[in-house]
Amino acid sequence: MMRNKIIEMRGIVKSYYLGTPNELEILHGIDLDVYEGEFLSIIGASGSGKSTLMNILGALDRPTKGHYYLDHLPMENVRDDGLSQIRNKKIGFVFQTFNLIPRSTALKNVALPMLYGGVPRSERSRRAAELLQLVEMSGRSHHRPNELSGGQKQRVAIARAMANNPAIILADEPTGALDTHTGRLVMDIFHRLHQEQGKTIILITHNAELAEETERTIRLRDGSIVDNRMNGHYQLEACNESV
Amino acid sequence: MNLFENVRLALEGLRANKMRALLTMLGIIIGIASVMAISTLGSAMTGSVTKTMDKIGGKNIMVSLSPKNYDTQSTLQEEDLITQDELDAFRSTYTDQIKAISFSTGMGSGQLNSGFIHKDVSITGASPDYGLVNNINLVQGRFISDRDMDGTRNVIIIDTTLRNNLVGVDGDVIGKEIQVDTKSTNETYTVIGVYEKLVIDNPLFYMGDDTRIECFIPITTAKSLNPDTTNLNGYENFTIMATSNTDSAAFALTTKEYFVKGLGALSDFTIQAESLEAMASEATGMLATLSLGISVIAGISLLVGGIGVMNIMLVSVTERTKEIGIRKALGARNSAIRSQFIIEAIIICLIGGIIGVGLGSALGIMGSTLMKFPTSPPFLPMIIALCFSMAIGVFFGFYPANKAAKLDPIDALRYE
Ligand SMILES: Nc1ncnc2c1ncn2[C@@H]1O[C@H](COP(=O)(O)OP(=O)(O)O)[C@@H](O)[C@H]1O
Ligand SMILES: [Mg+2]
Repeated sequence: MMRNKIIEMRGIVKSYYLGTPNELEILHGIDLDVYEGEFLSIIGASGSGKSTLMNILGALDRPTKGHYYLDHLPMENVRDDGLSQIRNKKIGFVFQTFNLIPRSTALKNVALPMLYGGVPRSERSRRAAELLQLVEMSGRSHHRPNELSGGQKQRVAIARAMANNPAIILADEPTGALDTHTGRLVMDIFHRLHQEQGKTIILITHNAELAEETERTIRLRDGSIVDNRMNGHYQLEACNESV
Repeated sequence: MNLFENVRLALEGLRANKMRALLTMLGIIIGIASVMAISTLGSAMTGSVTKTMDKIGGKNIMVSLSPKNYDTQSTLQEEDLITQDELDAFRSTYTDQIKAISFSTGMGSGQLNSGFIHKDVSITGASPDYGLVNNINLVQGRFISDRDMDGTRNVIIIDTTLRNNLVGVDGDVIGKEIQVDTKSTNETYTVIGVYEKLVIDNPLFYMGDDTRIECFIPITTAKSLNPDTTNLNGYENFTIMATSNTDSAAFALTTKEYFVKGLGALSDFTIQAESLEAMASEATGMLATLSLGISVIAGISLLVGGIGVMNIMLVSVTERTKEIGIRKALGARNSAIRSQFIIEAIIICLIGGIIGVGLGSALGIMGSTLMKFPTSPPFLPMIIALCFSMAIGVFFGFYPANKAAKLDPIDALRYE
């Protein structure tokens, strides 16, 4: 079975220049392949470079060195407006701190990526309502973020990430600010999106148990990948597949 | 992202900070309001001047002989006067410019007696064209005719007030004989016409309450009765009514030159020719100077207002750094962020402009009503004011908007 390699990273280096002599290298030559439809988790200590890697994966940032192909497209050739378009169409972000726009209602927040994607107004509202239903937030569509609980905010954020039906969902510690129970609900939504809609999901987490639930886990330490393995029963499946 | 979406976004942004937006607009409001008030007043004044000019004969040029030197006593000599022949020659030279010429001479005041009624009146000797040139509104009978002139008849035109006094509003006064005593005469006249006195309700032309009753008799009759002028054959003053497409100010100069040539070099007198239009344009010129002064103040206020808008937009960009980061993460292009903030600045200025136009128009209307020439605010300055306030938005909104557009998405997202 041929699977589409939706992400290919070769020798990705990210450095910050804090004044010329003080070059600070955060990522040291990351090689990473992700296949379409995979549910991948990235774990690692705080400061190990997980978010830095995710920003590059999400076309929010450019690597200092190395090559990144997103759906076979060499990203170094894409200009800033192109990156905006890629973020808009191919990627859905879910952040630890939700990052909803405080003045806008849940519905408006979900519709926002479609606004920048040029979707007509009526279609935006229709699809936003549909997505809120998917995350079981229909009852709160006209509430502003400060009227929602953390778990509710994160569900709205996931709906927003799905707005333009992106191929990849990037979630940076999405349960980090939630209690175990609401974290569980959020995780279940990711599983559903993965299983029912075949989304490629990359989940950054501190929580080893949650990472175990995904198909594959990558461990970062001080800006390098130190472990890359299949999880639990997926490991078996992968073995069977290769036989 | 289309314009409409940007406008909605901007309005949402402003609604969140109403008071701040209003305070920011203040400079724009004051600037636009003062421009709008002065242009409303200005158009009211020009409008009323034009209207009044039409009423009193804006195309008239008053020509008179006046002493070159007021210090020495100069007496008019017969050769100084403008003769009928000279006048006829002038008239045939400028047929296209001249509609009518009228003559008049003041006979001074006197007392009118009719039965038991005694009234103070002033008597003016007038030529037949006087009625046309001075817009005399005859309501009954007729004005002086050439035959009255030739016959130096004792006929008189009185005003409606006098008519009402003599015979009442409905009474027939035509043909009635009345007697008028002046300093040197004591004559009986036949009433041939009644005119309605011109009421000038324009405060710009206010010349004191004129309660005099003016009566007109043929100028020939007047001259024959006045011992000073009886023997003089010619005119010392007359009024030219220029045709409607003539520049009366310019024609006044032509007239002056024409008649100065006719005067002997040794004469103590010279010719004065003044057009009413030129006199009125002096008044409107004053208004123009005033407008300029207010425009300068308004300009400064708009500049300060614009800087205020820029300042508040910079604050807004900083406050909303995180929001900008989120929008960029969701796929907003730099240009979308830029237009969002520019349009927000334009809308602040436009709302300020609209309030300013409203306020200024209201002030202008109030002012013009107080000054007794009510008007509606002029349309063109309104449009210009609104366009100008939008231009201020673009100009002062560009720098903050560009700053927002160029924010790095990650730095912006991380901003707390
Ligand atoms: N703009 C920056 N300038 C300098 N150092 C940075 C910058 N952003 C992140 N870092 C550093 O990069 C390292 C990795 O950060 P991050 O990717 O956020 O870690 P994680 O998400 O794994 O906790 C940290 O040591 C952090 O201090
Ligand atoms: Mg992180």
